[in-house]
Amino acid sequence: MLAFLLRRVAAAIAMLLVVGTIIFSLLVIVPGDPAELLLSTGGGSATQEAIQNLRSEMGLDKPILAQYFSFLINTARFEFGTSIVDGSSIADAIALRLPRTLEIIGVGTVLALIVAIPVGTLAGLRGGGRFDVIASGVNALLTSIPGFVVGTLFIYFFAQVLRVLPAGGYVAFSDDPAQHLQMLVLPATTVALHLATIIFRMTRASVLEMRGHDWVRTATAKGLRRSLVVRRHILRNALGPVITVVGLQLGILLGSTVLVEFVYNWPGLSGLLVTAVEQRDYPTVRAIILTVAAIFIGINLVIDILYSLLDPRIRLK
Amino acid sequence: MTPSLPTSMMATRRGVLLSLGAGITAMAFPRGTWAQGTDAVLKFGLSTFPPTVKPFDNTGGAANTVKLMIYRGLMGYDASGKLLPELAESYEWLDPTVVVFRLRANATFHNGKPVTAADVIFSLNEITKEGSTAFLKSDLAIIEAVEEVDDKTVKITLSSPSAIFLDLMASYCCPVISAESTDGNDIGAGPFVMKSSEKGVYIELERYGAYYDEGGPNFAGIRFIAYADENLRFAALEAGDVDLIEYLPWTQFDAVEASDTMQMKSTLGPYMFLLFNVTQGPFADAKVRQAVGYAIERQDVVDAAFAGRGVPLYGLPNPQGSPFALANPAQEWTYDIEKAKALLAEAGYPNGFDCRLLATATYGMHQDTASVVQAYLAMIGINATLDLPDWGTRVTAGKEGKYDLAVHGTSGIYNDPDSLWSLLYSGNPSYLQSFGFKSARIDGLLEQGRTEVDTEKRKAVYQDLAAAYFEEVPQVPLNWRVQAFAMKKSVTGFEALPGFLNGSSAYALDETRLG
Repeated sequence: MLAFLLRRVAAAIAMLLVVGTIIFSLLVIVPGDPAELLLSTGGGSATQEAIQNLRSEMGLDKPILAQYFSFLINTARFEFGTSIVDGSSIADAIALRLPRTLEIIGVGTVLALIVAIPVGTLAGLRGGGRFDVIASGVNALLTSIPGFVVGTLFIYFFAQVLRVLPAGGYVAFSDDPAQHLQMLVLPATTVALHLATIIFRMTRASVLEMRGHDWVRTATAKGLRRSLVVRRHILRNALGPVITVVGLQLGILLGSTVLVEFVYNWPGLSGLLVTAVEQRDYPTVRAIILTVAAIFIGINLVIDILYSLLDPRIRLK
Repeated sequence: MTPSLPTSMMATRRGVLLSLGAGITAMAFPRGTWAQGTDAVLKFGLSTFPPTVKPFDNTGGAANTVKLMIYRGLMGYDASGKLLPELAESYEWLDPTVVVFRLRANATFHNGKPVTAADVIFSLNEITKEGSTAFLKSDLAIIEAVEEVDDKTVKITLSSPSAIFLDLMASYCCPVISAESTDGNDIGAGPFVMKSSEKGVYIELERYGAYYDEGGPNFAGIRFIAYADENLRFAALEAGDVDLIEYLPWTQFDAVEASDTMQMKSTLGPYMFLLFNVTQGPFADAKVRQAVGYAIERQDVVDAAFAGRGVPLYGLPNPQGSPFALANPAQEWTYDIEKAKALLAEAGYPNGFDCRLLATATYGMHQDTASVVQAYLAMIGINATLDLPDWGTRVTAGKEGKYDLAVHGTSGIYNDPDSLWSLLYSGNPSYLQSFGFKSARIDGLLEQGRTEVDTEKRKAVYQDLAAAYFEEVPQVPLNWRVQAFAMKKSVTGFEALPGFLNGSSAYALDETRLG
């Protein structure tokens, strides 16, 4: 078991090293000079001298390999350093923004589960019935609308026409809980909407499949109450694949909430990443991508270990 | 900065229920109940979060707006764009190269100490010193000496006369900061002090009680909020989340004009133009560049890229509010496809040629302008392939000459033809200039115009510059674009400063009243 653990941890570290190297190389290849960009924000002009001076302030005049090794060493020490644009701490920025991205994903997921599982189950139980046709139709429609369109429509109706919610933005929960929640409603719902369509489809298909199994027929034949049959014999078995899909989607959402964050001005991690890429703020881009990669790899590591505890055969492979 | 989310993610049942309850209750509250008058905070929607607010660097319009609220220089502008003494009370030219500024007795820095000659000397030295990244470093190289006459009087000697020195002293990149400033803690003398900020999200300023001008802004603070998405920025104004926004998207002008609750202030500020790589290929020939000048129907650019909110520009971009009228119909490229074809044939390209047209997908207006230009060039046989990288890549491609033809848009910083210096003077090549373009004639005229202080003689110099611009084609101008701020009707007194001064419009916040 220990050998297995060590192997997996070593593999995870190797993977992070590869990610780090790839992202470092990519940023070297991508054209764009952070110093020139900063001094020409919005189309202004800067003298070559000023740009050169700023480049050396940013440490960009050092050889690439030297920059690479200091990046590796600092990362190994968990030191992300400071933004080359404004000198602020990158670790602080990530610590501030990661929870916000997790918040809209988390709340969005809960909302999606609350709606999609009952509706999906009902549609699956009445496969082909009127409820199923309507629910599946609405679902197909919602699936085909991209998140940023939903966002724009939501803002138009709720902020500009009805004026019941702010158009976007963020206030910390600790500063003003009520306003924080007001601002959370639209982004979380937008994330939930897309996720719900996926969960609905999976739940419906899975329930549809389960309800035809022998043990369901047996349970019904035994005279069990319908609700008990559904809960204990259909739903419990049907939810396995749904949970797997939700897990996968959570990982994907971590990288894809950027449009939702942009549309609602929600200052999460992906917004920070986009700005950093635009500004060619290399250390910030690297730190964010490594953080997200580490979360991914970490989750996989935990799952691997859990599986191996549940099923010893995996350890032998 | 406060850490977010201290409790909302704690998944206790009671916590969740409480939160839900609070949320529902909160939604029932009427919005827009903040205080009015002097306690009020002006909420200002910016188009981007200022990358830095270092006093002497130019890091874009949003940064300059914030800087003007914290820092002030010797000179400034009023809401109509008139140049006025700011921290200086008065100035006097002893001769064309020596100017004496008398500082205001009641001007103080945010640390409470008076603004003195020593601070002026310190600040100008910060700009011109070795290794500085200041925007005006090369422009202020003209300063030969800065001397303290007494505590409140400072004498500046220039190496040559300068027609624009006072405008430079009013620049958002030339404030006076306290000599006690340290790296990362610059102490200004503007109407507001930095209160708090979160990178990428907001900057909040509070009123500096001892600001010299008691008639200054009547609000207690300004909260700058960055809205990168232009439609959200407008939505935030319409929903009442903010009081004032910059960069009103052109497609929303109609909505604001028709609105009962919003108004806008605009100016013809920045302009759009084409640049050429003159080191190779057909565009090395001025005749081909002239042909491009004649080949484009500018009104279509205005209509397609700016929803009709702009004015075609056919010759030297002499800004609105410039001291000289320089327009000359004989030096303008009005749309004339036959003339364009004839010039191409004359240059040896009767059947046209292929080329790369560089713009950027980051800004819709650049991309749309490029599409219209591409269509018009096709009509004279020039087949342009669009290259639309992100802004960062576009800047580098422009600087390295990786294009044949490029779209750009920018503004000068003051309303004088000298403002075109950074766009036309070959001594400082940048992505804002045609790659490899050098003209001793244009450089000479720019130098002459800068050092000539006689108005009539200067006018003649810039008339010659307009002619040289037309003949040598360092760029092909396309159109002025309307640059607008939109605000609630309850915000009064704000103006968009005219012409190239539009980037200094934050000065008008001094005369702005809330509620």
